[in-house]
Order: sequence, then C-alpha cells, then structure tokens
Amino acid sequence: MTAAARIIINEIKGYHNFLKFMIGLVVMGALATMARFIFGLGVTTNLNDVYPWGLWISFDVVTAVPLAAGAFTLGAIVHCFHIKKLEPLVRPAIVTGFLGYSLVCVGLLLDLGQPQRAWHTMVYWNIHSPMFEVSMCIMAYTTVLFLEFLSPVCEKFGYHVPLRVLRWLEMPLVIGAAAISTLHQSSLGTFFLIAVDKLHALWYNPLLPLLFWMSAIFTGISIIILEATMVHRYLGQPDESELLEVLTKILPWTLGAYLIVKLAATALLSHGPLYDRPSLLTLFLAELIIGIIIPMFMFMKKAYREDDRMQLRGASLVIAGVVLNRFNVSMFGMEQADQAIYYPSIIESLVTIGIIAAHVLFFVLLAKYFPIFEHHPETVDYSLPDHAHSMTAAHEHSHASGSESVH
Amino acid sequence: MSSTPVNYDKTKSFLIDTTKCTGCRGCQVACKQWNQLKAENTTFFSGEGYQNPPLMSEYTFTRVKFKDYQKDGQNEFAFYKEMCMHCNEPACASVCPVGAFVKTPEGPVVYDAGRCIGCRFCMIACPFGIPKYEWSKAFPLVRKCTGCFSRIKEGMQPACVTACPTAISYGSRADMIKEAEKRLKNRPDRYQQTIYGKDEAGGTSIFYLTEQPLDELGFKPVTQRSLPSYTWQALRLVPGIFLTVGGGLSLLSWFTHRKERIRQEEAFKNSKVQPETTVEETREDQP
Amino acid sequence: MTNHWIDLKNSDSIFIIGCNPAENHPISFKWIEEAMDRGGKLIVVDPRYTRSASKADIYAQVRPGTDIAFLGGMINYALQHDLIHKEYVREYTNATFIVGEKYDFKDGMFCSFDDQEKVYDLKTWAYETGPDGKPLRDLTMQNPRCVYQQLKNHYKRYDIEMVCSITGTKMEDYLKVVKNFCATGRPDKAGTILYAMGITQSTHGTQNVRAVAMLQMLLGNIGIAGGGVNALRGESNVQGSSDYGLLFHLLPGYLKSPEFDNADLKAYVEKWTPKSSDSKSANWLGNTPKYITSMLKAWYGDNATAANDFCYDYLPKRMGSYAYDKIMTKMGKGELEGLVCMGMNPAVGGPDSGSARTALGKLKWLVTVDLWETETSIFWKRPGVNPKDIQTEVFMLPAASSVEKEGSISNSGRWAQWRYKAVEPVGQSMSDLWIIDQFFKRVRNLYTKEKGAFPDPITKLSWNYGNGHEPDVHLVAKEINGSFTKDMTIVDKDKTLEFKAGDPVPMFKYLQADGSTSCGCWIYSGSYTKDGNQMARRDESDPTGLGLFPKWSWCWPVNRRIIYNRASVNPAGEPFNPKRAVIAWDGLEKKWKGDIPDGPWPPMKDDKEGKYPFIMLPEGHARLYALDMKDGPFPEHYEPVESPARNLMSGVQNSPGVKIPKNVSSDLAKFPFIGTTYRMTEHWQTGGMTRSLPWLTELVPDMFVEISESLAKKKGIKKGDKVRVTTERGSIEAMALVTSRLRPFNVEGKQIEQIGMPWHFGYAGLATGDSANLLTPSVGCANTSIPEFKAFLCNLEKGGNKA
Ligand SMILES: Nc1nc2c(c(=O)[nH]1)N[C@H]1C(S)=C(S)[C@@H](COP(=O)(O)OP(=O)(O)OC[C@H]3O[C@@H](n4cnc5c(=O)[nH]c(N)nc54)[C@H](O)[C@@H]3O)O[C@H]1N2
Ligand SMILES: Nc1nc2c(c(=O)[nH]1)N[C@H]1C(S)=C(S)[C@@H](COP(=O)(O)OP(=O)(O)OC[C@H]3O[C@@H](n4cnc5c(=O)[nH]c(N)nc54)[C@H](O)[C@@H]3O)O[C@H]1N2
Ligand code: SF4
Ligand code: SF4
Ligand code: SF4
Ligand code: SF4
Ligand code: SF4
Ligand SMILES: [Mo]
Repeated sequence: MTAAARIIINEIKGYHNFLKFMIGLVVMGALATMARFIFGLGVTTNLNDVYPWGLWISFDVVTAVPLAAGAFTLGAIVHCFHIKKLEPLVRPAIVTGFLGYSLVCVGLLLDLGQPQRAWHTMVYWNIHSPMFEVSMCIMAYTTVLFLEFLSPVCEKFGYHVPLRVLRWLEMPLVIGAAAISTLHQSSLGTFFLIAVDKLHALWYNPLLPLLFWMSAIFTGISIIILEATMVHRYLGQPDESELLEVLTKILPWTLGAYLIVKLAATALLSHGPLYDRPSLLTLFLAELIIGIIIPMFMFMKKAYREDDRMQLRGASLVIAGVVLNRFNVSMFGMEQADQAIYYPSIIESLVTIGIIAAHVLFFVLLAKYFPIFEHHPETVDYSLPDHAHSMTAAHEHSHASGSESVH
Repeated sequence: MSSTPVNYDKTKSFLIDTTKCTGCRGCQVACKQWNQLKAENTTFFSGEGYQNPPLMSEYTFTRVKFKDYQKDGQNEFAFYKEMCMHCNEPACASVCPVGAFVKTPEGPVVYDAGRCIGCRFCMIACPFGIPKYEWSKAFPLVRKCTGCFSRIKEGMQPACVTACPTAISYGSRADMIKEAEKRLKNRPDRYQQTIYGKDEAGGTSIFYLTEQPLDELGFKPVTQRSLPSYTWQALRLVPGIFLTVGGGLSLLSWFTHRKERIRQEEAFKNSKVQPETTVEETREDQP
Repeated sequence: MTNHWIDLKNSDSIFIIGCNPAENHPISFKWIEEAMDRGGKLIVVDPRYTRSASKADIYAQVRPGTDIAFLGGMINYALQHDLIHKEYVREYTNATFIVGEKYDFKDGMFCSFDDQEKVYDLKTWAYETGPDGKPLRDLTMQNPRCVYQQLKNHYKRYDIEMVCSITGTKMEDYLKVVKNFCATGRPDKAGTILYAMGITQSTHGTQNVRAVAMLQMLLGNIGIAGGGVNALRGESNVQGSSDYGLLFHLLPGYLKSPEFDNADLKAYVEKWTPKSSDSKSANWLGNTPKYITSMLKAWYGDNATAANDFCYDYLPKRMGSYAYDKIMTKMGKGELEGLVCMGMNPAVGGPDSGSARTALGKLKWLVTVDLWETETSIFWKRPGVNPKDIQTEVFMLPAASSVEKEGSISNSGRWAQWRYKAVEPVGQSMSDLWIIDQFFKRVRNLYTKEKGAFPDPITKLSWNYGNGHEPDVHLVAKEINGSFTKDMTIVDKDKTLEFKAGDPVPMFKYLQADGSTSCGCWIYSGSYTKDGNQMARRDESDPTGLGLFPKWSWCWPVNRRIIYNRASVNPAGEPFNPKRAVIAWDGLEKKWKGDIPDGPWPPMKDDKEGKYPFIMLPEGHARLYALDMKDGPFPEHYEPVESPARNLMSGVQNSPGVKIPKNVSSDLAKFPFIGTTYRMTEHWQTGGMTRSLPWLTELVPDMFVEISESLAKKKGIKKGDKVRVTTERGSIEAMALVTSRLRPFNVEGKQIEQIGMPWHFGYAGLATGDSANLLTPSVGCANTSIPEFKAFLCNLEKGGNKA
C-alpha cells in the first residue's frame, strides 16, 4: 500500500458515519453499474419494449437536470439582475450544478446501449432531434459548469493565471449558461412533444417546453434554499437565511406565473380527455397542489419567508412537486391504460441511489476541501504573483490589482 | 434525417386487407426466415386466439395479431399483420440524436446500426410502438422491420409480401391508395370506410382495410399530423431563444452594471478617490 | 377436385363443408377472395367457427357426423322448391332411370341386408333393364320408380325441422345456407362445394361425399366453371400417390387390383371391365384391357408376352381388406414380421395410436424412411416404456426432402407439375427414388442368389432407370407415359399415324391390349411425349379467360382442366352459361372449342356419334342413385359410432355396414362431450416436419384443446390451464384454450359440449405434447375404412397429470 493510499484511508476513517454510509451507497451503485454492463439492460433492469425508459431517464436525467438548475438561475439573478448580495450562494450552486450534470452524464451513459458511441451525437448531427439538442447543450453546459467550478479549485491551489482568465470569463459564462440552460431545460419538455398519442393530456400540451423551463427556474431557486439550509445545519456553514429570504420573494411570482400558464395550457391546448384516468388525475393534482399552490401561498407570507424552517419546508415542497411532475411526464403519464405497470428493478434503484449518494458525497467532500462556502469574491486575491507578471504582461492590459475591494 | 426530398406517391407501400387475411402467419415466418431471426421460446398462446409470440420484439419484426371475440352474439375472428408503418415523416427518424433512421426514397425507413447509440428515444417516439431493443445484450441496438430494403433494392418484393396468399398488395403509394379506394367502393358493406395509414401520423407506407371498427381490433388511434412537426414547432425556436436569452441577459447585465458603476462613480466622486478601470468594464465589453 | 383451385374464382357461391381451407389450404383463399370480390358468396358449415368461417358471408354450425342430414335437407329443399337444374338432371343424371322392383327402403334400412355378414346384396338395387339390356328410363320423371321420384321420396323426410334437430344448426342459419346455395341451380349460376376430412373421416364418409355430389348434380354444378365437387387433397402429393395406386384395392390409374378369384388376365378383365349396350355411352372403362395390359408391359417389359398372360400371374391377388386398421390389428397380434414406414408416422397419425405404438413393438424389424426422427422411429423409447422390453430392430433411413430432389407432384386440381432440385440433400439423406432403387436391387440380388419360393415377380421386373448413381426420374416419367413396344401404324379417323418402337405414346387413346404398348399409369399417358416433358411447361396463356392455363404443367386426363365438362353444355353443345363457357361445339368447324372435352365426339344430341357426358360410368349418366356403394344407393343419416344422440331419422343408430370395435362407448355418463380432431395452419400432420422447426413451434408451442366458454365456466377452467381429456381408448393432457368460437350443440334439447383438438403433437421433435390420436376410435367408413377421427365421445377434467 502506498503512502498516499494510506493517507486517504486514514482520512476516510476519520469521516462522519453519514459520509461512510454515502461511500457505501456509492460503492453499491458502482457494483450495480458493473452488473448492468456485464449482464445487459434486459436482465438487470425492468425496462422492456413497452417501457424503454425507466427510472434512469425519469430521475437521473429528466429530474436531475432541473434539480441542477440552481447554478444558472442564481448566476443570472446575481450577475445579470445584479443582485450582488446573493453572490455567496453562487459558488455552492455551481458546484451542485456541476456535480448534477456530471452525474446526469453518468446516468445517461449507463442508460445508453452503446455508451462508447456517445460521441456520435457530435458527429452525426440531427437538428430535428430534441435529444441531439439536449446532449449538445448538456455537453456544453457541463463544460461551462466545469470552467466555473475551476475557480474554487484554482483558488485552492493558488493557480492565479487561470483564475484571472476564469474571472474574466465569468460574465460570458453566466450568460451562456443561462441561454444554454433555457434551451435544454425546455428541450427536455420537447422530448415528450413527440409522444402525442402516448403522454396523457393532463401533461401533454405544446407549451410543455415552456413549462419545463419555468419550473426549472423555481426549482433551481428552491434547491439553493434547501442546500444552503442543509449545509448550514449539518456542515456548520454560515447561516444565509437572510439571503435566502431574497430568493423566497421571487418564488411566488415564478410559481404563480407557472400555475397560470400550466392551467391555461391544460385547459385550452390539450388534445384529449382530461378526467378519464382517476389515478393520473390524482397525480396531476398532487403535483400542482403540493409543488405549486401550497408553497406559493406559503412564500406569499412574509413571516414564512423569514422563517428558515418554513423556507426549507416550502422549498422542499416545490422540489417534491417538480420531481413528481417530471415522473408524471416521463413515466406515469406515458403509461397506457392497458399496460402492465413499470417499477424499477433493484439494480436500477441501486444505481440511482448511488448517483444521489455520489452527489451528496462529492458535494460534502468538495465543501470540505475547497473554498466553496467561504467564498466572498471581494476577499479573493485576484492579483498575479510577481513572477507571473513578465509572462502575462504582454497580454494583460487591464490593471491587475485588488482595486475591487470597495469596502 | 434524409436530406433527399421523398416523393411519397412513388414510395413502395403495403396494402394489408385484413378482410382477406386468413391469419395463416406465413408472413411472420417468412420475415423470420429472411431476416434470420431467432424463434422465441414461449409457452402456449400469449394473445387472443392463436396469437404468439406475445409481442413484436428484437426477434419478431412482424406479428399477426388475433382478435377473437363476440359481438351481438356473432363471432368475430380477425387477424392482421403488425409491422413498421414506414411513415412518410417518421417520428423515429426525427428524434434520433444521431440520425440512425432514414426514410429512403424507395419507401422503407431504414436503420443504420453503426450510428445508433442505443438511447431508445425512437422507441418512445414511434406512435406505433415498432422499434424494439436487444434487451438480451450488454450493448444493445434497436431492431425493427426493414421494409426488406435489401430485397426491394434488387427489384424483389418484401419476404412477407411474397409469402402472403391473400391479404397483402404491394406497389407505389399512389397505386395502393387507389386500389384501397376501389375496394371500399366496390364492396361498401364489407369495409369500414377508412384507410388506416393514409393520414395516420401524417401518412405512412402501410395501409389497412378492415371489416371491424378499428378500435375493436386494437388499432391505435394516432394523430393525423406528422409527428416530427410537433417537436419541430418547439425546436425550430432554438436558435431564436438562444440569441434572445443570451442577448437579453447581456443587455440586462450591461444595463444593471452600468447603473452599478454610475452608482459607484458617484460614491467615488463623493469620496474623491479616482477609480481605476474596473473589472466590470472588461466584462461589459462582452456581447 | 373436378375443377381447380384457380377455378374457384368463377364461382357465385362457394360452399365449404367439412374442410377449413383458410387454415389447411391457405392458397385457396386467394381464389375464393377473388370470387368474393366479383360478388360471390362464401358459406362455411363446420362444428367450429374457424379461420375459414371468419371470412364467410354465412356460417352455420353442424354437429360432427351429421352432414348427411345437413346435405339431405338441402337436397330436399332443392327438390321441393324446384330449384334444380331440370334439363341437366333429366339429360345428364340417372334421375330418369327406373329402379328395379326389388329396391326398397324402410326405417333406416335398404333392402336385402344380410344380418349375419353385415352386407347388402347390391344386385337388388339394379336398374330395371329393357330387352336390349339398356336400363329403362322415363324422361318425364313421373314414374314412381324412377330415380327422381325415389330420391324425392327418400329425402322428403329430411325437412328443415328434422334436419336442424339432428345437426343442431340454428334454423335461420340453415335457411340462409340452403337458399343461397340452391340458388345456383340456375344455368347462369355456378356453385362449388369444397370438402375434405370433415366429410370423409366418418363411418359414412363415402356417403357424405355422395351427398355432396348429388346436390351438385341436382343443381347442375358439375362440369361447369366455378362448380364441381372439390375434394381438397391433403399431403402435398397425395393426389399423385392415389393416382399411382397408393390404396390396396387399386393399381395405378384406379384400375382395380386383382382379387383372389381373378385367376387369369381373362378373368380379371371379365370382372373389371364394365359393359354397356347403349351406343351413346362412351363407357370409357371399357378400355380396361388396354390399360392393364399396357401396365403389365411397363412392369415386366419383354418378359410380358401374350403367351404368359403378360405376367399377370405375378400380380398379388387380394382377399378381404388390407386397410390400415386391419394391418395394425394383425401387427398387434404379432402376425407381421416387418414394416417399412416410408414418409408415414403411424405412432401419431393413426387412430387409436396407443394400440399402434404397442403393435410396433411386436415387429421383428421396422424401417423408417423419413426426414426426421419421428414418434414412429423412436417408439421404443417413448415415455412410459422401457426400451429393454422392446425387441424390434429399428432402422432409420434419412430421406431427402421435396426440395432436394427432382420429380413431379400432382396437386389437388390434378396438375402434374415438374419440380427441380433446389439444394443438395443434407447429410447422408437420399431421395426416396434412390432408396427404393437400392431396396429393389438388393432384394433382387438376394432372390437371384438364394432363389426362394416365388422369385419371378421380383427377378423378372423390368427395371431400367439408367446407370447413374441416382435412378433417372425422366426415365421413370417416360415409362409412366408409355411407349410403343414395336413399330405401329394407327388409323385415327382420317389420319394415319406411324410410330416406331420406343416412341412415346401421345395419349391413352392409343394404348393397346395386345402388348404393343406399355404404360405405367394410363391416366398419365400424354404427360411425357415426343414434345417433351409436358409437366414442365410454364406458359401462362389463358385463352378462355377462366384461368384454365392449358399450357401450364399438365393435367390428367389428357390435359383436361375441368372434368365432366361435356355436362357444361346442353345436349346441342351450347354452354349453359355462355359467359363462363368451358367448352362449346362449333357446328361449322365440327369441333369443340375451349377446354379439352371428355372425349372427341360431337354433342349428345348427335344421334349417330353423340355421347353422354359422364363417360366413366357405363350408363353415361351421373348417379343420383348409386349401384355399388356398400351402404345404400342413397346417403342416409346415421349417427357416428360414438354419439350423444339417438338417430332421429330411423331406428338404426349406426351405418349398418360398419363393424364396431370393442373399445368404443356411448356412455354419456362417462363420456359426456363430443371430441373432434382437426389441423391448423401452423403445423403439418403428425408434426414430424413442423415440430422440428423452431419458427413453426414458436407459432403453436403446445398441445391444446379448444373448449367453449360455457364448459370453461362449468369446470372452472381458464385459458392456459392444464386439462385432461379421456376416452374409452386413452387419456391425454393438454392446455385449455377457452373460446367463444366453440359452442355446445343442441341435441334433443340438451346442450352437448364439444372438445376440439389438433392432432399434431407427439413425443418427438422440439415441441412435444400428447397425441390426440390416443383418444380416437379405430373404426372406419363402410366403403373406404377411413377412420372416424371427427366424432367421438370424451370426458374432460381440469388439471393435468393428477386428474
Ligand atoms: N397446415 C396444414 N395444412 C394441411 C394439413 C396439415 O396438417 N396442416 N394436412 C393436409 C391433409 S393430409 C389433409 S387430408 C387436409 C385436410 O384438410 P381439412 O379437411 O380442412 O382438415 P381438418 O382440419 O381435419 O378438418 C376440416 C374441418 O372439418 C371440421 N369438421 C369436423 N367434423 C365435421 C363434421 O362432421 N362435419 C363437417 N361439416 N365438418 C366437420 C373441423 O372442425 C375442421 O374445421 O389438409 C391438408 N393441409
Ligand atoms: N385424429 C386425426 N388423425 C388423423 C387425421 C385427422 O384429421 N385426425 N388425418 C389423417 C390424414 S388425412 C392423413 S393424410 C394422415 C397422415 O398421416 P402421416 O402420413 O403418418 O403423417 P405425416 O406427418 O404427414 O407423415 C409424413 C412423414 O413423411 C415425412 N416426409 C416428408 N417428406 C418426405 C419425403 O420426401 N420422403 C420421405 N421418405 N418422407 C418424407 C415427414 O417428415 C413425416 O414424418 O393422418 C391421419 N390422421
Ligand atoms: S412506424 Fe415507427 S418505427 Fe416505423 S417509421 Fe414510423 S415512427 Fe419509425
Ligand atoms: S436508440 Fe439508436 S436509433 Fe433509436 S433514437 Fe437512439 S440512437 Fe437513434
Ligand atoms: S418487410 Fe421484410 S422485414 Fe418487414 S415485416 Fe416484411 S419481411 Fe419482415
Ligand atoms: S401471410 Fe397474409 S394472410 Fe397470412 S397472416 Fe400474413 S397477412 Fe394474413
Ligand atoms: S403449404 Fe404449399 S400446398 Fe399448402 S397451401 Fe401453402 S403453398 Fe399451397
Ligand atoms: Mo390427408
């Protein structure tokens, strides 16, 4: 055993039991993944020709993507709408986003029959395919997130040159991120526009992409609330509930707008009977009431907005609602009346649990080793070390200084 | 997707007259023979009547469906061959991220296994539930009826067509529609007055004539619009949205930052400190 | 078939009774559909609602074994409502013939039954003849003893109520069938009847067929396009096999095989050559001496001379029946030493096959010649027996399949079509011809070397099929066609024809009784002439537009596509239906146009040379009243040997000519259901061929029985449940297919359930299952011995082996 490995093991030994549990889940997920590649999809999953897409697509992709929407939402709010005081929340959001998207990619690769050919999408273009669009976006966006994510890494290791480049790229990246996210968040909805005769009218309408995008925004916000509250509680990070209160002000508006569009679209633009399947109707109502209406009213109350427990509850409801919505669209609503019901296999579930655990685990580890929460940009030293000046002087015409410190 | 425009009237099409189908399943076997597909291991009949195997699959590109029921005290024993509809504007082709499906000018919608990444979007998209997956394999591909493209390119007819004693006519789309209309007119009491496939999913290369109402036989009610148009109405907005959002946000940030700078400058003026060029300015140079 | 598959398209009414062509002859539906597109109607009469029934305009259910009642009712209806084709009946059938005074029918029995021997004295049914030996006729058909009046009299008992209470058919369905089909009695309408095993596999199967033929005669439907009596033949070359003497009582070309008392050729000819003193009767079989002599010349070649009776002595003479059931009984008693089973699988296909399997174990040796290992070839290791207990030595010779060899196949429409070898035989398999050739040569060598009691019939055979590894099929075909054995000059009308020794015979007209011609099978004479192999012709021309395709392959006899076609024209030679003329007399050219007529003579009206149309019968008229059936001149309804019903027609329960074996039982308390067996598209016969092919076993993987929804409910059976079916003979396990297509029959006010089962399963091959023939009784038709596979009694219980 090498010394490095011993160090790592010792380090791990020192972890909290929760983290060890997470590591266990990730290992299980990894084993399940191996099983999938050894025995094939047919044996290891409950997928079949009637249910070509199951848990992995419904959760790992269709749901995970809006859950990772915090990064672009907050980026836009902070940088474009220039609500600067929320900036401390940006970096955790980016980390979540990056992790989220990376794991979406992992989920997708598992789900593909020919993962080794994933690059085909970049070579054989089909601009008519929403999946082509989404995969291009996800690749692009993961890259963007990666670049954004590099900042804390560079900070940690004191790589100043890249740090400056990244700092310089920040605005274009934020805008690019928002534009790309708008596209693929909505395009995930476009996926299901092809399923005219399959997706139940409660969800199928031509505004599905718009609704997916709108819901991604409030989901992103809610995820940030959830995350910040959790890390405050469990990782001993500073209490940001005051900042979060700003976010909660945005929520009723976005939820309300969504509700109006959703109801209008369902009432006016859907193409089939709405009330023919009681179970689906229940799911539909659950999604709206739990995920939209209740939190909307909650966040309309100032007292609730200021109460960090209520912030957490409201945000959780929104998230639960969107999870349900994505499952409704991609799974339950696609079920035909006469079909056997799909439920994920153990392997499928283990993989998904592993992915979620990996997300939590990596997040915690990153938070542990990298400056994610401490990040208050005004305190970061963007100046170049002396030796770097000669190298970069030719290119750098801007004034390198700590002049940003406006305090 | 195919870039060559397809003249649908000329595409090869199947007219499957279920009133003439005897349920002999010669087509089912001929298809397996030509495509060298494995026999499925099933027990007993998995569907109504003598129907077997239960579903189309990676091993079964076409299957004769049996409907065995009573209506008004009368027996109904109906059969029809299920297969890929070879849509004019195939949903499978439109959603495939790598363009593995192509509508050929000859008619068949063919599949390029070398491109496929195995995402199964085509299976979700196909309104008729046609593409099937090689679930048994670790690195599966999609399988479906090829329209016997390899045969028709050589001037032959599809294997199932040549095996069929009664029910399948094969020819150009225009001719098959004409023939179908002739039959509806010739024996109006025998036929439901619809040609399934003429307009379904925006028109297909397979047409069905039936005696029983379509829903009774289990034909899927399918939109008459071409499926790709449903996604395309959203997808075509992609460049626009990208530019709008990107541009809008850029403008917005420029605007908000300008306000911020003005505010700062005021503050500086007040504090009589000469500001240096801020990083924000650099950022504002961006589009 | 009197007509051909393609000719079905010319029909106005297609009456399917006792066959299921959609499933068993799928290609037929191509033509049936064409007829329907032209406005023809399809009628299906079957105990079950089959795939054929699903295509029908009219479907009527019939209880198995009651077809004579069904058809008798139709005959009665046609007569009572005067729907018959009068001119046709008067001129072309024996309706006008006067029946002898002795003939009588009372309470289910015809006259002169010998109770001891269980046979009728057929002589008492003869026509009354005049002083010239010609049968007496009454062209007004008023004479109470004329066939027409006897017929009317016989069938007036078959009124609709009576018929429907026997057959269990719904009266309204019955009326629909009758009205639609009897409407084809008009000269401008054609109706065809298709039948097969549902009609023939019965203890009165031959009479069923007669009832079909009689209905067609009355409606004037024989000889015309779109008409006919069409037996859908079964095995791919069963037509050819029967043509070449497959059955024990026949020689090739349907010549009778000699009986023990046909001591010499003269006696044989005396016995089997029909005579007629009516100059207008062609009495074609009067040529029997020519055909038998030519056949003997083909068999024994130069060894056959006038001096030695053309080796007639070498022919085996028969005494009694050598039918399948008799052979099996003998085998079961250990009276047979060996058996050669060439393309046959009796362990599954024969009736009461449990007994057959046991019987095989009594053989010293068994040779199977087959494509596959069949139930017969592995009978010694079948489930439930100890191979050590079976001493039979079994040889399996692998045979080449039909696509691996060249030769002709005769289809149902009598077309002999030449086929070519498509692929080389797999493994060590050999063509049947090679196997027979080797068999013969080795046996002959043994006889030559070791002599034996009577070697000549073998050693003297003429056997010249080339010197190749494989016998030359063309030489076989040429021998069948026949040739001249010496130079000949033949004067035919105004032509003088010269032939050299060895020249092929152009047609059977030129065959001789003096040994100057040889011919292996007279009805095929003309199939391989100096113009070459006629069977290999592939010309698609169709001058009549009826689909006769006279230059496609070759059709026996003399390439005639519709037989009895002289009955499609009136006595003056004008087609009854000019729109679908098969033949027509051209008075100017003095010749027939269209199909090849039944004989060259001018129309019947021609006093000097005209001939009656039914040339194969001595009286030249189709027989509404038969003279040589073992069980009566008119078909009369009797119940199957195992039946849930009492015969409502008479006090005679079963056909009097049938010997009833011990292991049958009509005890409804033990066996309350009607059992019936049939085929389905997906499997072939005993399954030897289809249960060995994965693609076909996939279609129907398991043995199953079909039961009605009402029986399923009563017994608590769901689709896919295991059930056990039992008869007096045996018991099988199967899966249940519950379907509304099978319904119980109304028998004397009671609902009697039917259990339907395919008979394709056995213990060999990929998909195995119990054989339905473990259940069927070994009892056969009075005339032909074909087993009663279609109607027996059984019980059914839920549960598999345990039940
Ligand atoms: N696919 C396939 N085709 C075949 C064969 C095969 O094994 N498989 N076998 C071939 C052979 S050898 C033959 S002989 C033919 C036979 O061909 P078919 O005669 O068509 O064969 P079956 O199915 O035995 O019987 C026909 C029908 O008779 C009905 N039936 C039973 N009893 C009665 C009755 O009393 N009256 C009436 N009217 N109908 C009754 C049965 O329900 C059945 O539907 O098929 C040939 N074709
Ligand atoms: N219960 C019930 N029993 C029935 C009937 C029924 O309706 N009900 N129908 C009866 C009828 S109609 C018939 S015809 C009989 C049929 O009874 P069988 O003739 O015994 O049945 P097949 O399965 O046709 O047997 C033919 C065998 O020939 C083999 N074979 C095929 N081609 C060739 C070849 O070129 N050369 C050789 N040497 N062998 C070859 C096949 O593999 C197969 O094993 O069964 C009868 N049995
Ligand atoms: S039926 Fe389905 S698989 Fe076939 S072309 Fe149409 S969309 Fe594609
Ligand atoms: S599974 Fe293959 S063919 Fe189907 S959409 Fe995906 S890449 Fe295209
Ligand atoms: S067209 Fe070819 S591949 Fe398609 S069902 Fe017919 S035989 Fe099979
Ligand atoms: S081959 Fe033709 S008749 Fe037979 S099942 Fe197929 S479509 Fe029907
Ligand atoms: S199996 Fe052969 S003989 Fe029978 S219907 Fe089909 S093509 Fe004709
Ligand atoms: Mo047969």
